[in-house]
Amino acid sequence: MRYVVAKDCPEAVALLNANNGARLLAGGTDLLVQLKQGAAKPNILIDIKKIDGFGNIAAEEGGFRIGATVSGAEIGAHIALKAAWPGVVEAVELIGSTQVQGRATMVGNLCNGSPAADSVPAMLAAGAVARVEGPGGARDVPVADLLKGPGRTALGSAELVSSVLLPKRGARAGDAYLRFIPRTEMDIAVASAGVNLELDAGGVVVAARVALGAVAPTAILVPEAAAALVGSRLEASALDACATACEAASNPIDDKRGTAEFRTRIAGVMATRAAKTAYTRAGGSL
Amino acid sequence: MARVVIFGSLRAFTGGEGEMEIEAATTRELLKKLAARHPALAETIEAGVSLAIDGEVFKEAWFTPIGPEAEVVVMPLMVGG
Amino acid sequence: MKQDFKVLGTRPIRPDGLDKVTGKAMFGADKSVTGMLHARVLRSPHAHAEIVSIDTSKAEALAGVKAVITGDDFEDVDNRWTRYTMQNCMAQGRALYDGHAVAAVAAVSKKVAAEALALIEVTYKPLPHVTDVDEAMAPDAPVLHEGVKGRNLGDDVSGNTVGYYSFGHGDPETGFAEADEVIERTFKTAAVHQGYIEPQACLADLGADGRGELWCCTQGHYEVRRICAEILHMDASQLRVTASEIGGGFGGKTTVFIEPVALKLSQKAGRPVKLVMSREEVFRATGPTMSASMDVKIGMAKDGRITGAHARLRYQGGAFPYQMVMLGAMSAFAAYDLEHVQAEGWDVMTNRPKMISYRAPGAPMAVYAVESVVDELCQKLGLDPLDVRIMNAAREGSKSSYGPTFKAIGLVEALEAAKAHPHYSAPLAPNTGRGVSCGFWFNFGGQVSVSMAINADGTVNLIEGNPDIGGSRASISMMAAEALGIEFDRVRTIVGDTASVGFSDVTDGSRVTFAVGIATINAAKAAIKEMCKRAAMIWEIDEESVEWIDGAAHAVGHNAGTLPPMTLAEIAATSGKTGGPIAGHHEGAPDKAGVSFGVHLVDVEVDPETGFTAIKRYTAFQDVGKAIHPAYVEGQIQGGAVQGIGWALNEEYIYGEDGRLQNPGFLDYRIPVASDLPMIEPVIIEVPNPGHPYGVRGCGETAIVPPLAAVSNGVARAIGARLYALPMSPPKILKAL
Repeated sequence: MRYVVAKDCPEAVALLNANNGARLLAGGTDLLVQLKQGAAKPNILIDIKKIDGFGNIAAEEGGFRIGATVSGAEIGAHIALKAAWPGVVEAVELIGSTQVQGRATMVGNLCNGSPAADSVPAMLAAGAVARVEGPGGARDVPVADLLKGPGRTALGSAELVSSVLLPKRGARAGDAYLRFIPRTEMDIAVASAGVNLELDAGGVVVAARVALGAVAPTAILVPEAAAALVGSRLEASALDACATACEAASNPIDDKRGTAEFRTRIAGVMATRAAKTAYTRAGGSL
Repeated sequence: MARVVIFGSLRAFTGGEGEMEIEAATTRELLKKLAARHPALAETIEAGVSLAIDGEVFKEAWFTPIGPEAEVVVMPLMVGG
Repeated sequence: MKQDFKVLGTRPIRPDGLDKVTGKAMFGADKSVTGMLHARVLRSPHAHAEIVSIDTSKAEALAGVKAVITGDDFEDVDNRWTRYTMQNCMAQGRALYDGHAVAAVAAVSKKVAAEALALIEVTYKPLPHVTDVDEAMAPDAPVLHEGVKGRNLGDDVSGNTVGYYSFGHGDPETGFAEADEVIERTFKTAAVHQGYIEPQACLADLGADGRGELWCCTQGHYEVRRICAEILHMDASQLRVTASEIGGGFGGKTTVFIEPVALKLSQKAGRPVKLVMSREEVFRATGPTMSASMDVKIGMAKDGRITGAHARLRYQGGAFPYQMVMLGAMSAFAAYDLEHVQAEGWDVMTNRPKMISYRAPGAPMAVYAVESVVDELCQKLGLDPLDVRIMNAAREGSKSSYGPTFKAIGLVEALEAAKAHPHYSAPLAPNTGRGVSCGFWFNFGGQVSVSMAINADGTVNLIEGNPDIGGSRASISMMAAEALGIEFDRVRTIVGDTASVGFSDVTDGSRVTFAVGIATINAAKAAIKEMCKRAAMIWEIDEESVEWIDGAAHAVGHNAGTLPPMTLAEIAATSGKTGGPIAGHHEGAPDKAGVSFGVHLVDVEVDPETGFTAIKRYTAFQDVGKAIHPAYVEGQIQGGAVQGIGWALNEEYIYGEDGRLQNPGFLDYRIPVASDLPMIEPVIIEVPNPGHPYGVRGCGETAIVPPLAAVSNGVARAIGARLYALPMSPPKILKAL
């Protein structure tokens, strides 16, 4: 196995293009474990941590562009980002332990393609857009369009995500992420939900996005659940409708981490609870 | 004579007899006499037993004295964690 | 019995603390030597399969590979229990569970060893398997080993049923007829792992001259020596085993899993071999505890008096014969003074890794079932669960359900302390239930050797033969200091290797503080006798006229007051001129270990929308006889409680239809993490054990027994519905709601 430090993005793309079986190394918190277990056997490791700009959190058109190698700990320490997108930040901060947070990246969490990835439902709810770099240059792809299945993304074999843009926030907006695990930390979501709300001056929801994790082959947006919240002040009937829509949209598997029946019910509970937190963060009062 | 109590499932090897009196000064003597009286028990005794003498549990201690009025409960050898 | 202590009951800084917090302590995997090879083990992917052939030629041809072994490399042994251990370390003929070792490699690096493993070609013929205890007991089940069925069993059970035990007295049916309420329930508990942080690791060196050195993490290096010497057909004297520091054992390190393999590889390669298990290997191939299927029937009168009780315990113990359900049957009703009681147990084999001890082995699940039914009866009859337990509690003079009549015991004291504690009367938050349970463990004695040297500068060195898994170096130094009448920091205790001190049984059964303590006190007595003799010689008086008081020889009788006391340090300083070094030693097999009871109180909050449980408050009361070093005792009580909470809530071995373990790692085998738990409040109760000079009972195991039922009873009261299976993971609780 070769190890190469890419000096810029075109070099990383060229290396990807030239090598079948290459893997990118950013935080490495999943890759190194896979290497140790023998689950991944790349012929070349392309380290992208030294690429200029990949480690930055930059303000852009009122939003934030988060580079591919920005760690969870850096995201958690960014006061303005946390104020604008508290749900995305709390989702990122749930990845792994304190030690892992020093390395693990949000973009890596996305590109792994895990249906249970914590940051992905939060990014979906936020309407995040990934910048994809490839042999043909750069293109911007909504995060929702990148997800294809467990361990699979829409990225081409020579493509990488260089950054993710969290868009500009409206006033009276808030987001939240919540996951269910049987313990209190150090675990993988059994079901999770990201909710992003925008309110009018009267506290009525005017825009909503609801996303679920771990209840389908990929994290999913649930427009019906969002629609149930729009026009409400999160009255019980709206929350019930939201939960029902989430349950209807869930298509989970039975496995050692939870039954399909359990995951389905929990998805609705997580979504309504996250909705209440997002509502409060947006300035609404319940 | 010591009163010897055989616990439930070991009674399968004593023809159902649960209590008996045996004259013995030490545990070794008691176990020898017990094995002689109930040959089916000999294998269990050979494999090792624990004895409770007046409530105190002893493990493989041949020369523990047994008082004339003692109650001796014969149990399988205990191992712990 | 001694009551006024100077050293006992204080909390000196732990002697192993600095090494452990600075990383200096040497654990199993920390030792390396020149020329050392690295070993890896190939394991069966099948739950049950005939090993048709193993072709190791490609692995042997790989550059850097120095030895490859399979089951064929091990000669048979006479002792059948040792044979089972050997075949558990390396399969012969058949692989009996997912993870069973089938071959091993020693190579110049871990990488080469891993490559070589991939080159070993094993041809398996899969055989029918069984992993559930009730299925394994059914007469038509696939049988793991022929000819090992318990000899007191009939045709209604399969040949996997290797033992049957029954304890009790009176007639339960008579008791049920006298009851106002009778409840019978069936319970299931999952197999759980000890979850020690340090995987098994060893460094073996077996030379051409037949002399062997073995460094390993173990709870009993003499037991390791015995097993390995038998398997390798060596003299015990030629194999020196040194116990490393140990990163947790809890019963799981009372046997061997890798040591004979490392020794055999070393013998074949002619080089030292290091073998370290991965976490996945630990889960798949070391011993978890038994899973269980149990029926419990209890009758109670309106006033709370238990009139009759009956338990049937079926334990699943993995791929080889074993004996453990007995301890469950003996423990099940130990907390109660009953006229009509019977507890029966069956030990059953399955295609799973062979069980090994886990903290009070066999007791937690049996007591869980019993304490659940007692709690349900209390609910049904509207009775206070502590009052009912006090009414029925075993006490001094009670004929125990397993035979012996109890001497002084502290169950009533623990129950009354629980009743009086502010926790029991504190108001409960919504969705919260308060659970109560008793627990019991025997505590053991057993063989022990201690060697004590009095140094010329007045300090003391002590060598004992039991690995320190719970603070024994501290407690033994404290007992030595107390017995000698000197300060704690004048004594240093080490764990000797098998060549440096006499035989000692395994560190198990909560026996070390009790048994090594007695040996230490006796060794001190021997040294004191010698010191009194030296003082008498110096003073030119009769030996009988010297007494040892508070760390010094005192002249007594007609010489009293005429001579100033001579301290240990003073006597030691001249020892070279008065007859040479002063020492004391003791070898023995103390019995009379005192049984120990605990009572736990827990407040459990259940999220009604998710089934998530949160332990909000936990108080654990335990009679320990005498707490030598109370901080360690509190740690034992807290640790036991936490392991029991994990057993109750989320820990389980998950097997698929294919008989393969699905969760061999700490991500999906969920032990509690620190943030899951409140501070566990330990309450030490001291009812001295009359069988120990300082009253010690032993304290390491009892605390894992009550939490299973305490948490389950708390959940039952929080949600108004009862679960009859562990773990009570959120999906199961939500379903019950």
